[in-house]
Amino acid sequence: MIEGAIDILATRYAYALMFVLMGIGMYMMIANENLVKKLIGVNLFQTAIFLFFVAVAYVEGGKAPIVPADSSPGELAMASPLPHVIVLTAIVVGIALTAVGLALIVRIYAEYGTLREDTLREVRADE
Amino acid sequence: MTETSILPLAAVLVSAVAMLLIIASYRYPNVREGWSVVAALVKFGIVASMLPGVMDGTTYYWSLSESLGVEFLAGIDFVLRADPLGMLFAMLASFLWIFTSFYAAGYMRGLDEHAQTRFFAAFAASLSTAIGIAFAGNLVTIFIFYELLSLVTYPLVAHNEDNEARIAGRKYLTYTFFGGGVFLLGGTVLVYWLTSSADPAGQAHLAFESGGIEMLAEAAAADPAIAQAAFYLLIAGFGVKAAVMPLHSWLADAMVAPTPVSGLLHAVAVVKSGAFGVARVILEVFGPGLIHDLPLNVPAVGEVGLNVPVAILAAFTLTAASIIAMRKDHLKRRLAFSTTAQLSYIVLGLSMLHPFAIAGALFHIPAHAFGKLTLFFCAGAVHVETHTDYVSEMAGIGKRMPLTMSAFAIGAAGMAGMPLIAGFVSKFYMLIGSGSVGGGYWLFAAALIVSGILNIAYLWPVVYTAFFESEDRHDAKPILEFPPGGKLESYFDSDAVATDGGERSSSDRRADGGEKPDSGQPQPADEQAEESEAKGAGTPTELDEEADDTDDEPEYAVDKYPSDHTVPEDAETHEDHADDHHDHGDHHHGGPPAGGWERHSPFTESTWLMILPISVIAVGAVTLGVIPDYAVFLDLAMYIVEGIFGVDSFDELHGLSLAEAMEVIGE
Amino acid sequence: MSRLAELLPALLVAAPILLATVPIVLGLRFERTGWSVAAVTTTALFAATAYLAAAVYETGRVVHVLGNWGEPQGIGIELVADEFSVLIALLVTLTAAGVLAYMRVGGPRGNTFYAGYLLLIGGLLGLSLTGDVFNMFVFLEIVGLATYAMIASGDGPESAVAALKYLILGTVGASMYLIGVGFLFMATGALNMQVLGEVIPAVVEEGGSDLTLLRAAFAFIFVGFALKVAQWPLHTWQPDAYQHAPDGVTPVIAALVSTVSAYALGRVMYNVFGPEFLTATPYLTEIVVTVGCVSVLAGSTLAVIQRDVKRMFAYSSVSQFGLVVAAYGLVTQTAFVGAVIHLIGHGVMKAGLFIAAGVIALGYGARTVNEYAGLAKNRPVAAASTGILLIALIGIPPSAGFIGKWYIAVGAVEAELWPVAAVIFLSTMLTLAYAARLLEKMYFTPPTPVESPHPPGRVAADGGEPEAGVETARDGGSLLEGDSIRRGSPDAVSFGMVAILVAIAVAAVLLGFAGGAFFEWLEPFTEEVFTE
Repeated sequence: MIEGAIDILATRYAYALMFVLMGIGMYMMIANENLVKKLIGVNLFQTAIFLFFVAVAYVEGGKAPIVPADSSPGELAMASPLPHVIVLTAIVVGIALTAVGLALIVRIYAEYGTLREDTLREVRADE
Repeated sequence: MTETSILPLAAVLVSAVAMLLIIASYRYPNVREGWSVVAALVKFGIVASMLPGVMDGTTYYWSLSESLGVEFLAGIDFVLRADPLGMLFAMLASFLWIFTSFYAAGYMRGLDEHAQTRFFAAFAASLSTAIGIAFAGNLVTIFIFYELLSLVTYPLVAHNEDNEARIAGRKYLTYTFFGGGVFLLGGTVLVYWLTSSADPAGQAHLAFESGGIEMLAEAAAADPAIAQAAFYLLIAGFGVKAAVMPLHSWLADAMVAPTPVSGLLHAVAVVKSGAFGVARVILEVFGPGLIHDLPLNVPAVGEVGLNVPVAILAAFTLTAASIIAMRKDHLKRRLAFSTTAQLSYIVLGLSMLHPFAIAGALFHIPAHAFGKLTLFFCAGAVHVETHTDYVSEMAGIGKRMPLTMSAFAIGAAGMAGMPLIAGFVSKFYMLIGSGSVGGGYWLFAAALIVSGILNIAYLWPVVYTAFFESEDRHDAKPILEFPPGGKLESYFDSDAVATDGGERSSSDRRADGGEKPDSGQPQPADEQAEESEAKGAGTPTELDEEADDTDDEPEYAVDKYPSDHTVPEDAETHEDHADDHHDHGDHHHGGPPAGGWERHSPFTESTWLMILPISVIAVGAVTLGVIPDYAVFLDLAMYIVEGIFGVDSFDELHGLSLAEAMEVIGE
Repeated sequence: MSRLAELLPALLVAAPILLATVPIVLGLRFERTGWSVAAVTTTALFAATAYLAAAVYETGRVVHVLGNWGEPQGIGIELVADEFSVLIALLVTLTAAGVLAYMRVGGPRGNTFYAGYLLLIGGLLGLSLTGDVFNMFVFLEIVGLATYAMIASGDGPESAVAALKYLILGTVGASMYLIGVGFLFMATGALNMQVLGEVIPAVVEEGGSDLTLLRAAFAFIFVGFALKVAQWPLHTWQPDAYQHAPDGVTPVIAALVSTVSAYALGRVMYNVFGPEFLTATPYLTEIVVTVGCVSVLAGSTLAVIQRDVKRMFAYSSVSQFGLVVAAYGLVTQTAFVGAVIHLIGHGVMKAGLFIAAGVIALGYGARTVNEYAGLAKNRPVAAASTGILLIALIGIPPSAGFIGKWYIAVGAVEAELWPVAAVIFLSTMLTLAYAARLLEKMYFTPPTPVESPHPPGRVAADGGEPEAGVETARDGGSLLEGDSIRRGSPDAVSFGMVAILVAIAVAAVLLGFAGGAFFEWLEPFTEEVFTE
């Protein structure tokens, strides 16, 4: 049982790492009072997912999925290109989200003069 | 024989259209009330025009999918159907509406009520839905109208817009929607599921069939537990409106509504829709045969029919409610508990399953309606003319309102089941029924008789005090003398004038109100209002609202005139408003004026708008009792029973025991 | 099938997103073109969707393969219009066009706002029509982005805070979904829904590690959607977002955003995973049903204790979506139809209720339950429409609320899950609790005296000014200063606002007669899903 787990860890350590990273992002998002850091947490969380996708695509001994014009693709061991495409799209989406999030934070800062959530709560409770 | 016809739909829609017209002509009270009367006449005309056909065995029927091609729900049609049972209820409601619309106009004008347009519109709408219940052709259709009825009668209960009315309204909504939206819908869904899984084609059978839905009987054989659950859910759903204990307590609270509402709706249309629903379930959904045969395993007793628990509950209700009624000093509340008791007669008769008991129960629907409507009309007339609501203040009122109190005496006799009044005939049949069954059913017969005596005990004192006592010499009322029920002041002593609001200075009254914020009455005659208020306060809504109210205006919570908040807080204005809000007026102006009641002739005691309906309904109650064979209702009741037991003539059912009667159904 | 019908799914998604740039471009020259562009676009979209619906009715599902990447299957992105998705697309376009009638005068204004609006509609249509699980994520995020921006377009600072809260939680939800898609891809190697739907039963049969991956995929996807649909306890973003969004925006968000997410959940559960997987996996349906039921109970309870009307409606949404999720978990054909009908019905009713809340806030100055006192006397039409919509929400027949509840209840009974059936029946009472509270305030409580700290003159002046700047300043003011416009400015309520409100109220009642029609319309779809 334990051996099996170690075995999985040894061969699939990438996944484990991604999920640890995801956890860090999530924790940061929940526990940090600073809004900007929260957003960084969200970003970390998303990045972990992107890495996860890249890891999924990997084929042992595979190369980057760039096919030379003269060879037939069947002979080449390549990483699956599809998740890479997905990750590219997701990165774009993530950047857009970060931009909107930062814009909102700028506005909150302009209105309340703070970036900290606990201070924000106090300010709003006073009103 | 069935015949497609638009008439059942027209009967439903007449008052719905009238509702729109009433709202549209809100500026012209005469036109507005005119619409009520016109709609009532047209409605009765439409319903009555179907009567000969129905008595000849034709069923008029209108279906949404056949006429417009719209399927209401998958496998379920929206059907209105005028069959004998539906006609019984529809005839009753539409006939009584005619007189109630006159009476309501007189009552509302007599008290110069607010929001009359809303009142008349909601009244018309509730009649529309009541006829819808009568003509509904399947369980889903009846559910639709049952829910709508709860909805449109809510504005009538909460009409006064004061705290008491709002709390009564909340209670009303909670009870009726729990009955409709939870119990009734639950039961309907179960029946839907049972019949559609039993049918080889997967088609659900929800349409009423005389003697019970066949497919349901098959399904019940396969899955008795679910069928039993469905039965009790349906009975509970309709039982809420039929005010069967323990689901009855909304009815007494709903008496804060104006009297025409208490009369037509909470003695006839609404509560009878519950009793009528029970009749539909027992007679045309499950059918007496199935109910009798589905064994219910009761520990220590053995197997009994499904009907027995219902009958026991009804018997308990009619006895207990009668006893409670004796303790009520507020006349309308006393009548409300009387209604609770009388409705259980119907449920009891139906659940005894014997053909005679069923016929008696069905005839009791109109019999009680005529009697109770008379009583409520009288109570309302007394209220409008003298602002007297408490029995203990009515000593000698016979002088002031001779005709009204005579009619009251007739109604009271009918409630008690005295011969020559409608109530006697129905009770007679029910007693024959319970006697024929024999066995343990003698208990039910005993309950019927005991309750009859109790009826006399709580209604006779009203008549007695009105005619045979005088203002300055009378006993404590009611019979059971408890502080919550009776008034110490009703013993004559020099302080008795304190009950007379007209004689007291306004500062006295204000102090009074301050001490007892729940009721301006020197003695809170009814514990019910306070009970319900305490209950209401327990819910989060109430807490929240009270907190909010207090925020808005600190003195609000102890002020009993929230509706007066728009005007400056001034004692004098309060007094003026007390006249407008009759409910408050009650507390201040009840009882005889100084110097006793004025003597009036029967023709001058009130307006024609009120005297006429009272006389007509009282005469109706006597007619039903003296010549039941010539008034359509008994015929209809017997015709329904013939249909259910599948015999050609009611006479064939004479002298049958319950088991034999069940065999007749089997054939 | 005509060429046009085949093209339409792509056009429906691309057109609004492309046209979203037009208001900004025109805004360089003209001041107020946004509304007109949006109105023309949404109306055209509605017409196109109706045409597509007719095509679907005639020939069955219409598939558009983007860029002709038909082969190898499972890689190219497909847009699918079938009975289920077209129904949701109709709701989206119709609501989008209808709410514009409110926004014309009620705001918010500005060309950029309408650019965001069109982007949102494009995203919603994409989410409804997509046939690819990853593409679904992209549209989920587009919808999210547009929604965050629109909530933040409220003028109070509160709206930015609410938007950020939603942004963070919404992103987590979408990311959870993305993880699920990753697992799904690991297990099957496909992203196309139809391919997945064919492969997954085989995986279920085979078992092994791929099945474990599938289960993990479902878990992540479900949690992601539970966040997006605002199921208890992941609902916390919703009340803030609904309350602080501008009055014109809330109807759209409340009627569409969560609805389309819930649609997507249904699509993934039934078209991708399929009923077989749902029933074969231990505890899966139990968990889904429990989440739904708990949301019903918690949402209604929280709704009862709210003071702010918009917040109350927001919690009501939590509970109504709980019904939908619970219905998904029942895995019967009837319950599924009920869920779809309830999605549509709830969308219509909530759009109406939030428009009513906006109209009343504008015309009567009432935002809290207590301020609604006496509404019936002063604003009879608005009060009557609100009343009808609330009654429909309770599920009193004939109404949109009833037919959905009926099918869900029948489904629960068919599945013989009695506790669920009990919760569904009791949900009537729970809805009644908060609906009746508002009804009682509107109809049977006399209005409380005006305690406005500000003279009414200011309000009248502001309300009469159509100038965007002043108008928004007033909106901000009302958020900041609470009761500053207590009795409102009736003139600010346009005919269009009242007309759309009344139309929605009438629609909510008329839909109550469409129970059979909905069932029939969805039958080809449900038959296919449930007989596989």
